[in-house]
Amino acid sequence: MMRENALMVNGLTKKYQDFILEEVSFTVPNGAIVGLIGENGAGKSTTINAILGLINTDGGSIEILGKRDEEIDDSVRNHIGVVFDGSNFPDVLTAQKLNNVFKRIYSEWDENKFFSLLKKMSLPTGKRIKEFSKGMKMKLSIAVAFSHNSSLLILDEATSGLDPIVRDDILDMFLDFVQDESHSILVSSHITSDLEKVADYIVFIHNGKVVFNKTKDELRYKYGVIKCGAAQFDAIDPNDVIAYRKQDYEWEVLVADKTAAQKKYPKAVIDPATIDEIMLLYIKGEVK
Amino acid sequence: MKGLLLKDFYLIESVLWINLAIFTVVGIALAFFTSTWVLTVLATIMLGTVSVSTINMDKTSGWRKFSGVIPVAKKLVMDSKYALYLLLSGAGCLFGMLLGVVTSLLKNQLEYDTMLIFIGISIAIALISGSITIPCNFLFSEEKSIISVVISYPLAAAIFAGTLFLFENQQAACGAAALLGIMVFIISWRITRRLIAAKDIA
Repeated sequence: MMRENALMVNGLTKKYQDFILEEVSFTVPNGAIVGLIGENGAGKSTTINAILGLINTDGGSIEILGKRDEEIDDSVRNHIGVVFDGSNFPDVLTAQKLNNVFKRIYSEWDENKFFSLLKKMSLPTGKRIKEFSKGMKMKLSIAVAFSHNSSLLILDEATSGLDPIVRDDILDMFLDFVQDESHSILVSSHITSDLEKVADYIVFIHNGKVVFNKTKDELRYKYGVIKCGAAQFDAIDPNDVIAYRKQDYEWEVLVADKTAAQKKYPKAVIDPATIDEIMLLYIKGEVK
Repeated sequence: MKGLLLKDFYLIESVLWINLAIFTVVGIALAFFTSTWVLTVLATIMLGTVSVSTINMDKTSGWRKFSGVIPVAKKLVMDSKYALYLLLSGAGCLFGMLLGVVTSLLKNQLEYDTMLIFIGISIAIALISGSITIPCNFLFSEEKSIISVVISYPLAAAIFAGTLFLFENQQAACGAAALLGIMVFIISWRITRRLIAAKDIA
């Protein structure tokens, strides 16, 4: 039987002196892009580091490509492509030298694919990485992640600090990658507009806890924000409210079903909620 | 491990000329004032130090973190640094020996006893200092790593001097110090292997 999920995180816990990642659970289904969102310090990178085995955990289990916890060995790591924020390669190396190194590390390193990706991305093979721009370094990291027959890509803030053109190129590559239904991506970002473009599921982490884990379509098409005055706000049934906050001249109220809310409150102005707005209302507003 | 060693050789290649220049200047001065065999000690220590410097280069470039996600066990990443240290220190020792032999032959003063003593000194100091600097650079912050480098050489020299007091014969003392160096190096490798498995990389 074919497994349904490329990644399963169950009850992941990591305790630091000043921060606790608490019982984080979510899945990355095959063929899907899952966006991990949250403000800086929410626990996104800690979650990713724990998944990748870069930090020891205090509880929970992780299953990657059908292998669980201690079973996650080199054969699994061969099929995980990882991109961190910024370059993680020695900057005195060139892309050519990096190829020489990786073909001795990854059992399924595809030299031809690597060089064709470099060509497609207009990256020089003989120039030292230290002479690359931030965008070029990020593209190089992505080329490496794509060149060893990865089934799961894990990207931590891979698009932050890049200009919109480069970001768009990278997002297109993600979409191409998941055309193969055995491929999946977990991408953490605080640039929610990027995730709105490509993600199938959104996992929102706040203060080390998963606040919600929903399909992007549910958030985009069902969630809404009622913008209203004080009198109208008082008339809203508290059971319909997920979160709210008072702005200078109006109230913003997050509701889970904007169509139902529109029927119930015909005079209210209800806009579709962006992921940014949902995040802001959860973090800066009052949560019911 | 081949890929990791190749990456380290590329790193070393990038600083090779600077080190060669330092070796030439310092080496000529030391050889002039003391013995040409001192080049054996200098080359062994210098190349060993260069190999340790790759650990910090890995940290600053982000490779240290990336090495945790490649299909290579944490312990093997650490093993590769110990292997690199042995390879480079060994190469330095051989290079220094070669220089010493050539210079001695040119002077027509080849003394095997002196050569063996300096080889013993090279092995002892290189392995004892490496046993301290490799784990410290792996496990601690950059500041603490630098302190370990500063402390390790005088400490290794002190241990070597200690063995000279214990043995009347200089050759026996050098041999004992070299053996002690080998033992300490193996112990350091075994302990660091255990510690590294439990340590968070990120």
